[in-house]
Amino acid sequence: MGLLDHIWLGIVTVFSADPVFSIAGLPISITIVMVILGFLFGIFVGATPGIGGPFAMAISLPILISVFGFDANALLPVLGFLVGIMKGSTIGGAVPAILFNTPGTPDSLMTTLDGYPLTKRGQPGKALRVAHFSSVSGDTFSDIVLITCAPFLAILVEKFLDFPEKAALIILSLAFVSAVVGSNVWKGMLAALLGLFIAYIGTGEDGHPRLSMGSDSLAAGFPLISAVLGVLILGEVFKSLEDMWREMKDTSSITHVEVKGDNKLHLSDIRRILPFIGISASIGTMIGALPGIGSTLAATLGYATGRKYHKGSPAFGEGAIEGIAATEAANSAVAGANLIPVLSLGIPGNVSAVFILLATETISGFTPGPQVFRLVPDQINQEMVYAFGLFTTMIFANGLNWTLGGIFMRWMGVMIRIPKQRLLPIVLLLTLTAIYVQQTTMFAVYVTLGFGFLGYLMRKLNMSVLAFIIAYILANNLEEAMRQAFAVTGADPWFLFAGPISITFMVLAIAVVVFFARNQKDLS
Amino acid sequence: MSKLTKIVMPLAVVGMAATAFMATPAKAEWQPKGPISVIIGFAAGGGTDTQARLIAAELKKRKGWNVIPSNVTGKGGVVMARKLKGLPNDGLTIGMAVTEVFGYNMLASKKAGYKTDDFTYIATTTSSQMGIVANTSKGWKTFADVIAAAKKGKVFKFAGMSAKHADINFLIEQKYGVKFNTVVLRGGRKVMNAIIAGDVDLGYGAGIQSKAVRSGKMVNLASGLSQRLKISPNAPTLVEMGIPYDIGAKFIFVAPAGIPGEARKALADAIGDIINDPSTKASQYVSKGYGGPDVITGKKLDAFIQNEIKIAKVLMKLMK
Repeated sequence: MGLLDHIWLGIVTVFSADPVFSIAGLPISITIVMVILGFLFGIFVGATPGIGGPFAMAISLPILISVFGFDANALLPVLGFLVGIMKGSTIGGAVPAILFNTPGTPDSLMTTLDGYPLTKRGQPGKALRVAHFSSVSGDTFSDIVLITCAPFLAILVEKFLDFPEKAALIILSLAFVSAVVGSNVWKGMLAALLGLFIAYIGTGEDGHPRLSMGSDSLAAGFPLISAVLGVLILGEVFKSLEDMWREMKDTSSITHVEVKGDNKLHLSDIRRILPFIGISASIGTMIGALPGIGSTLAATLGYATGRKYHKGSPAFGEGAIEGIAATEAANSAVAGANLIPVLSLGIPGNVSAVFILLATETISGFTPGPQVFRLVPDQINQEMVYAFGLFTTMIFANGLNWTLGGIFMRWMGVMIRIPKQRLLPIVLLLTLTAIYVQQTTMFAVYVTLGFGFLGYLMRKLNMSVLAFIIAYILANNLEEAMRQAFAVTGADPWFLFAGPISITFMVLAIAVVVFFARNQKDLS
Repeated sequence: MSKLTKIVMPLAVVGMAATAFMATPAKAEWQPKGPISVIIGFAAGGGTDTQARLIAAELKKRKGWNVIPSNVTGKGGVVMARKLKGLPNDGLTIGMAVTEVFGYNMLASKKAGYKTDDFTYIATTTSSQMGIVANTSKGWKTFADVIAAAKKGKVFKFAGMSAKHADINFLIEQKYGVKFNTVVLRGGRKVMNAIIAGDVDLGYGAGIQSKAVRSGKMVNLASGLSQRLKISPNAPTLVEMGIPYDIGAKFIFVAPAGIPGEARKALADAIGDIINDPSTKASQYVSKGYGGPDVITGKKLDAFIQNEIKIAKVLMKLMK
């Protein structure tokens, strides 16, 4: 079976497996329905300030798994829903940024700079259309890079990475994430080490449960989903509640803007913004392929680069459509490329990728890694079929973004009116319910609350939550890779420095930390 | 969208999820009072994992039982057994592993942390087709070729799935005066991936290799059973190679000790019916790569486990 057969099977699986109903004789598969639902949910949460795509993915995953189950048939519907959220929320985020000067997600902060001035001039429609066009272009570009690169990268990984190199690569990823994310390299490293430490409770190959202090509940380690959702969601909820309490006196009202002047997106406008989209999409894709940096930095870099190249008026920051294009193309281009390290190595780079990885780990039939893209003569590699199925859902979601996204996006302006004090308790309730639905023990709920408090403290101390989460998820892979590399090299204590590739990874890991730590000093 | 629907919609999703748990038909025999979790002792994608998940899906279909699989890997199933021991014995928590987890692997671990009678044994599903496997491209025909090359001083990377495999390798090293770098991976699928990727030179396969052997990509170099493997009659047994031991194992469902008798019977009957019904995916899976349906339950199973321990002790003595 060749590559094309697998691609075709992936597409067929997405569109025809398990049809739920048919429209005019055309059966509509469950996966397609889930992508559409996820996409609508994604736009909705993206446009709601205070919650975003990762929130929605986190809450959905446990519920989806208890609805669809764990066997391989559940894979594409669940992944489809998550992909839908991922895509929908990228375009939704620009809406409150443009209309109300409030970014829906941190990475649309730069969108406010040019989007809001346009709104004040009476051109919110134009701003939204530019944001939509740029965002979807960036996203599509990134997906194309993912689909063409991931299989080749996976083959390279399989050919050149042995046990010691895999261990070194995980160390490099962790060093990179700790150094790049967040305010301070050393705080990032601390967060990552804390993640490793907590992940090592109760796990491992010891004769007795490690670090459990004799507690039976700790003997099996913390439930993964409780730890991730606790730190990521509850931590944020607690922090927002505190912020709200502080800002109670600040009662800014939403002003109504009169729509006037040119609100269409003309061909000449597209010609103006295309170069900016091109540059930003490339920046976003490159950043996405590296673990840990994420869309906020991509947006900032895209905007800064765009500003450097921009000539003429209006200038950036005064309502230039090029500014919106540069930001939105960059932050949207991160999502697709972020799946490159996930699919070829099993290493997640940002929060959305974490949930895609968690879904594949919980549901059987698909384990990200080099074997996904291996061609076996005369046989179907089912994992490759799923991979192309996943790509198909991404392209389908892009199609939704191109066609319906713009329309839905313009409706979502009302979301700003949802008061945060109503929203946060709902998020809290949904998270705890989702945890209980999947784990069915109160212990998991208490653990989630505990990790929520940890997440709150980390946010107060300006420690990177993402470094913690990624370290927590990679901890056991790291331990396994280290033990196996040690055994397979015949108990060589210098196994990490035995080959040129692993030495390169280790040197890079140290270099990344030193480089960012020094730059930090310059800034302060 | 009105304000109300905005709040109601997500709640409806949760509600739907909650009702999924209530769909249990009323019958006279033992019924689980909630979802059953199956803790699988090996990594996702391997033989144990695939069987457990196929059976879980079929239990849901036939009985309406909600079966939730998860993987707890490490030390060839020992980590799972240790965890399972302390969990509630109400029939809602069961584990799946291979019989050697309750025989050789338990005895060989310095501090396994559990004993034979910490468990109630529910049912076996099939027997392994244990072989020593390598890529055909290595040019080896049988295990004798590997030994010949190793005697010239080559140190091969050799992947097993449990402590037992590491110990067998030690016996081979002793017998032939060779050296292997043995690494224990978490399950058959990981061993297969490591062999294909060239990360190791050879490894143990419990039957998961059958497809690749049939297609000619891989070769069974030796049989780990007391007789030669069905698909590779040319590969000698370890016994023929002077390692007098059958390292075959059976795949087995277990529960913490003392689960209600009717729960043990209901679970064993349900699993047995699925494996013995040739129309199920689980049955077809164990017939294609493994020894076909081989269901042992009740007192016979207890006796089988006792016998495993007896044999394991013989090998342990041999090691000393």
